[in-house]
Amino acid sequence: MKPINPHVLTPTMVRIKEAADMTGHERFFRLRLPRPLGHRPGQFVMVSVPGIGEAPISICCGPGDHDRLELLVRSAGSLTMVLQRLETGDQMGIRGPFGTGFDLADFEGRDVLFVAGGLGLAPLRSLIEPLILDRQRFGRITIISGCRTPAEELFGREMRTWARAPGIRVIRLVNDTAHLPWDGEVGLVTAPIAGLDMDPAATLAVLCGPPVMYKFVIMELAARGLAHDRIFIDLERRMRCGIGKCGHCQINHLTCCQDGPVFRLSSVESLPEALA
Amino acid sequence: MAVYLVERSVFLEWIGMLARHERVYFPQPVSESSFRFNRVGSRSLLALEDFDDSSRVKPFRASACVPPPVRSLAPDNELLFTFRRDKAGDCLLAPVLDNSRRILAGVRPCDLKAIALMDRFQRAGIPDPYYLARRDHTLIIGHDCLQPCDEYCFCEAAGSLAWREGADIFLTPQPQARLLVEPLTDQGAVLLADAGFPICEDVKGCRARAAARRATPFGRRFAAPLAQVMQVVAGSWDSAVWEQHADRCFSCGTCNLVCPTCSCFDVRDDFNVEDPGSGRRTRRRDACMLEDFAEVAGGHNFRKSTAARQRHRVMRKFVYLPDRFGGTAFCVGCGRCRRQCTVAIDIFDIATDLLAGAGEGT
Repeated sequence: MKPINPHVLTPTMVRIKEAADMTGHERFFRLRLPRPLGHRPGQFVMVSVPGIGEAPISICCGPGDHDRLELLVRSAGSLTMVLQRLETGDQMGIRGPFGTGFDLADFEGRDVLFVAGGLGLAPLRSLIEPLILDRQRFGRITIISGCRTPAEELFGREMRTWARAPGIRVIRLVNDTAHLPWDGEVGLVTAPIAGLDMDPAATLAVLCGPPVMYKFVIMELAARGLAHDRIFIDLERRMRCGIGKCGHCQINHLTCCQDGPVFRLSSVESLPEALA
Repeated sequence: MAVYLVERSVFLEWIGMLARHERVYFPQPVSESSFRFNRVGSRSLLALEDFDDSSRVKPFRASACVPPPVRSLAPDNELLFTFRRDKAGDCLLAPVLDNSRRILAGVRPCDLKAIALMDRFQRAGIPDPYYLARRDHTLIIGHDCLQPCDEYCFCEAAGSLAWREGADIFLTPQPQARLLVEPLTDQGAVLLADAGFPICEDVKGCRARAAARRATPFGRRFAAPLAQVMQVVAGSWDSAVWEQHADRCFSCGTCNLVCPTCSCFDVRDDFNVEDPGSGRRTRRRDACMLEDFAEVAGGHNFRKSTAARQRHRVMRKFVYLPDRFGGTAFCVGCGRCRRQCTVAIDIFDIATDLLAGAGEGT
């Protein structure tokens, strides 16, 4: 019988080491953990402000034996609105990590194409970081990241730094420049896929974005001959527990919090609720 | 293990005695038509139905117990942890688990099965510590059914009527207002050892008498075996039947609230009004029939239509959870969702219509 952890639904309070607004409605946090989280890229934590509530937030830093935890929080409800006001030295509650995440071994020697829509870049960053850190272990990296306007771009400075590493191409897009200065491209994340220099037999694609994005990106990737077991998708669902019990994140017979949130497209494409 | 044959009144007196120093829950009337698993106190009126007189309305209907007994293991507004801020402003959290011993007595086979299925669900993967703290300190006294509760029961068709797993003691009605009292676990035997009940000399005969007395058919029956029903439901994603049973649904979630194998929850934080530096997190029942159950932060709803939510509820009972937890249907046939539904939506009818639509059992 599995050991029962009586604390699994009780957060650990963690100190904020650094907090900074990234956009008008997204705030970046670096926390110092009492012990390394030991997470895999693509996993998430449940973030709490006791008295206010709790929500799932993707881990946006790479894995490793470090006591650092980075989160990007978008203001979307009462809890995330309160989180926007937290400063260095304040505490937030953390439970997890939860979910399966990515296995770095799957990416060894492969070219990797990332397609991120809006906040989708945050969880993908947890995989981009280790791939960049250990360049020779992995193939070429292409990052397509899109957002609505230049003011909403996430990790812009970091993406420019990534682009300087060998064997990495970064394509930054906005739907609309909104009359702001912009040094990237204008269009949807689907647009650059047709023109990419890509070997479908050696490439893995990793997608994260709003539900509407997946269908169109998958169509473009299929047109390039990418098999569905080479496409990873990171799905978002409402979650209340992270341990497969609250029922909110169910995708047909799967639970997003335990079986995902990262899935191979081939393993969920037959599930009508996965991309609907 | 010794088996006993006891006068019903003596047994009920014993339950009353137990309740003086144990937390005992037993179905008790709360109105003319409804019963609840309430804690037994000195004034509780305890009753069980008669073996001989089947014309008499049961003193209570097992399935009429709303909420079902499994809710004693996962109560609504369950406290998860308390928190308080110290002088430095740091937040201190303490989980609150309920490890106190309790006895659930008079649990019918459908509810025994529901509890056994929830045990599997709650122990799987990352176990739920709150449910299991209660469950591992709970003794269950089951009670056989010789008559279906009412016209909505379909426990035999759902494979629940013969369920015994999870019971520590099992009661079977006998002629002359007596009960066959069988311990099924060591804990059950220990509890009975001091009761002073007379030993039963003919256990097989007693069991046979009850079996012969049992109504056949027992409640409603599907037009096909349960395994086939489950298979048909699994293949019915695009069926028009979902829409037919959804157009009068209010999406009120009552069916979820009364179902003994529904366990979805939402969490809620509250500050203490008199001391806002402290507070609590509780969880309360949630319902997949409610409109916003599968809505995410951006506003996208993964089950927008009532029919999609109805389908999810039924699929969860007959397909999703069985797939993960041993192949047994999670609908136990208690009939509660139909009985409590204000617009008479019936999971039995939905399954029957799907079956007919698939050309089975006609």
